[in-house]
Amino acid sequence: MSEQIEHLHDRPDLAPGDEEEVRIGPRLLGYLTGLGLSLLLTAISFFIAGTDLVWQPSIPVALVVLAIAQMGVHLVFFLHITSGPDNTNNVMALAFGLLIVFLVVGGSLWIMSHLNHNMMPMEQIMRMER
Amino acid sequence: MLGKLDWSAIPIDQPIPLIAAGVVLFAILAVLIWAGVKGHYPYLWREWITSVDHKRIGVMYVLLAMVMLLRGGTDAIMMRAQQAVAYRSDGYLPPEHFNQIFSAHGTIMIFFVGMPFVIGLMNLIVPLQLGVRDVAFPTLNSVGFWLTATGALLVNISLVVGEFARTGWLPFPPLSELTYSPGVGVDYYTWSLMISGVGTLVAGINLVTTVLKLRTRGMTYLRMPMFCWTTLASNLLIIAAFPILTATLAMLILDRYLGFHFFTNEAGGNVMMFMNLIWAWGHPEVYILVLPAFGIFSEVVSTFSSKVLFGYRSMVLATMAICIISFMVWLHHFFTMGAGPDVNAIFGIASMIIAVPTGVKIYNWLFTMFGGRVRFAVPMLWSIGFMVTFIIGGLTGVLLAVPPADFLLHNSLFLVAHFHNVIIGAVLFGAFAGYTYWFPKAFGFRLDETTGKAAFWFTLVGFYATFMPLYVAGLLGMTRRMQHYDVAAWRPWMIAAGVGTVLLTVGVALQVVQLFVSIRRRDELRDTTGDPWDGRSLEWATSSPPPVFNFAVLPNVTGEDAYWRVKEHARQREFDTREPDYRDVEMPRNSPTGFVCAFFATVMGFALIWHIWWMVALGGVGAFATFVVFAWRDHDEYLIPAADVARIDRANLAARRAALNVAGAAQ
Amino acid sequence: MTETTYAYAQGDPHRLRGIQEAAVVHEGPAPKRIVTAYGFWIFLLSDIVMFACFFASYAVLLRQTAGGPSGAQLFDLRSTAAETAFLLLSSFACGLASIAADVRSARWFQAAMALTCVLGLGFLFLEAREFADLVGRGAGPTRSAFLSAFFTLVGCHGLHVSAGILWLLTMMAQVFAKGFRADILRRMLCFALFWHALDIIWVAIFSVVYLIGSGT
Repeated sequence: MSEQIEHLHDRPDLAPGDEEEVRIGPRLLGYLTGLGLSLLLTAISFFIAGTDLVWQPSIPVALVVLAIAQMGVHLVFFLHITSGPDNTNNVMALAFGLLIVFLVVGGSLWIMSHLNHNMMPMEQIMRMER
Repeated sequence: MLGKLDWSAIPIDQPIPLIAAGVVLFAILAVLIWAGVKGHYPYLWREWITSVDHKRIGVMYVLLAMVMLLRGGTDAIMMRAQQAVAYRSDGYLPPEHFNQIFSAHGTIMIFFVGMPFVIGLMNLIVPLQLGVRDVAFPTLNSVGFWLTATGALLVNISLVVGEFARTGWLPFPPLSELTYSPGVGVDYYTWSLMISGVGTLVAGINLVTTVLKLRTRGMTYLRMPMFCWTTLASNLLIIAAFPILTATLAMLILDRYLGFHFFTNEAGGNVMMFMNLIWAWGHPEVYILVLPAFGIFSEVVSTFSSKVLFGYRSMVLATMAICIISFMVWLHHFFTMGAGPDVNAIFGIASMIIAVPTGVKIYNWLFTMFGGRVRFAVPMLWSIGFMVTFIIGGLTGVLLAVPPADFLLHNSLFLVAHFHNVIIGAVLFGAFAGYTYWFPKAFGFRLDETTGKAAFWFTLVGFYATFMPLYVAGLLGMTRRMQHYDVAAWRPWMIAAGVGTVLLTVGVALQVVQLFVSIRRRDELRDTTGDPWDGRSLEWATSSPPPVFNFAVLPNVTGEDAYWRVKEHARQREFDTREPDYRDVEMPRNSPTGFVCAFFATVMGFALIWHIWWMVALGGVGAFATFVVFAWRDHDEYLIPAADVARIDRANLAARRAALNVAGAAQ
Repeated sequence: MTETTYAYAQGDPHRLRGIQEAAVVHEGPAPKRIVTAYGFWIFLLSDIVMFACFFASYAVLLRQTAGGPSGAQLFDLRSTAAETAFLLLSSFACGLASIAADVRSARWFQAAMALTCVLGLGFLFLEAREFADLVGRGAGPTRSAFLSAFFTLVGCHGLHVSAGILWLLTMMAQVFAKGFRADILRRMLCFALFWHALDIIWVAIFSVVYLIGSGT
């Protein structure tokens, strides 16, 4: 039946959280690298938050960037999410989740700031009612 | 000892809820006693209550939905009756009662009719269409169903013990805050939905994982039936949206129980935040309801036009587009709250854009019918009724998506007519189409055609007679949820709507009659082959009802409309008489986990509503213990020997071949 | 093994054959480990959406201190740093436990899980102390909308960690009683996903709530 078409049998997907590597040594190294990078990024975050050495308005941006970087470190080294074809479903699900997060958080902030801007403060309304 | 609960919670002084409660309690007791006397309890426990079979759970979901349709419909009849008579009069329902009725009506119809109906049909059919034996997490499936039932139970208990929310089906603060709703009504609402929300989320996880990870050999994504695609999209929305509902209701609960200030008037709370978040859930929710209905129509239209679905790839694209865009339109539910022209314009445009993929679907269904041999069986009637009705509802929706128009029509009866137009036209008609279409698969006999057609016509005409007057009244300025009014111009429309309600009620009653008639005539209506409609997808390759393992051997799929190819092949050549290689089949073991878990959830929910803290703790411990006991079991599957599989399958195949050979010879 | 082929590719009404020839053959339902872990992965994503709502509320209500104290006046960053260290190290310990489970070493597994537990409890202890301290200073969740949002966001995370500890102890008991059975290994995979995800959420919390919050 399938004689005329050469079928590539699809490689089984990886479960999210599983990694291809099975030897203890490299796996341990992976976790240690993740730990080291995370500690480094955390230390930098705390340092930047408290220092006077950088331009102050840039601090929130820097902290967000560092947080995203550390989340990436966790995803790669602890959760073993990679860009390989055996991980596609896992990455797609994550991307969908992140899209929703950005829509909800971003959308809410945008909408609420407009609403708050146009709306009288609640205390003022309550005072009017009395 | 019992928190806020005392004898005054029972509404002895209010005749209407008392009588309603009496009727319901009597009906429940009658059923329980009859079942006990007939000795059905062991069977019910073994085969249904502890079942983890997706087919059984799907049937129970649909049964829950149909029972709750009666309750929600009764609320609707009461509301229509009140508005028909309450011109310059107080009518027969005092305001605090009327408010509970419209709140309960909306809550029940959305959460305990719409959701269970579509989830039930998806549960029943998707594993069969994908050619596999069950969903990804069978025991979790049972838990999800029973938690949904718990939510429905709590809402109904509020009829007898205490009161329900008076805030509408979405409890907007500050009205829903403790200051303005000090009673237990809003608490019944929030806890009921928190519990059933867990159930819905569980169903969402189950169905997404099933569609993505459990398909039979050869069934790539683009060979799945359209119903499976819409299942995927709808359940992705469940996973994405229901956490928002959970979070928002949690914040309201924290305000009410622990004195937090998320949505209060004092201490910096922001009531608009509630509206924003609840509609960020609420809009995807309606797409969760409608997408499976679209999938049902794709199946039904294709089968009863005897033609492959037109434009399969564009249907898939349209479905996933609707899935994504549905998360970008939610502000159109509160254009008038004051976000300003920029924000309103963007969301208004997005709301219009989402009509485009829906339009694509309608054209595809029409083109499927065009050139086909259309059979006007009951499911097809529902589909055609849907197409006409939904188009009207969709058009009024696009009208409302224009912010300046919405400023006049927001919260008027025009809006009420619009959303009933689309929900009844798509979700309810789709549910009835799916129910009629797949009933023989679930039970082995078809539904009576005559009563089915009568039910359809009464429902269709009744719908128009009830809701078209509401459009007019809305354009004449009538606001929604009015307990009484004194504008003469609205009166004839309210009376017309009342008459229409009678027709609708007859339509729903005929559905019940149809069921009884069909059961009585079931031997004449028997489906012997498993394929009563000349279907195209794999569920029709099984017997009716399918054996517990669905397929003796998982099918190998090489194209779309998998089962149609089998029949084409069988008609053109000798049917393949080689026996399949029967193997032992492992099936998941039944478990009382779902039922017991829901029992403790009911206890906890009731205790939380009435502030009975020791009972909350007990319920919590019980739920955790159930979980641990379940996790500790050693045997979660049981074996069906190959000989049994072979025996069942041979019988089914024999019946099927006989019917196909007869059909082939006749051609 | 012979299987009855139910279909024979005759017609191709949608001219999809081109796509199908290039496509890989779908081998059938995925193995249980993948199915279980994927379902749990999706659940985690739904949980992250829920946290996103609490984050959104926090961001909206950030300035609503109702005349009361703001983040800058309340947060003790040394405590935050310690909590971060505890949770991060516990994540690492959990990774060790995963490796131990994969090589079926019960001793290393129980040791690593115990370490994870202790570090997790340390995190919870510090957080509970911080909350109690805030309440004692009149800056409890009922003081203002900002504080309601703060306690809910951080408290929700803390509740998840607490639930995780209960799950952790249950896993240790299960491995002790039944060894490394296939279903227990699947649960361990899910637990690891859960524990690491909690640390990811904590990264967002300490960065946005505590660090950015203490600067404003």
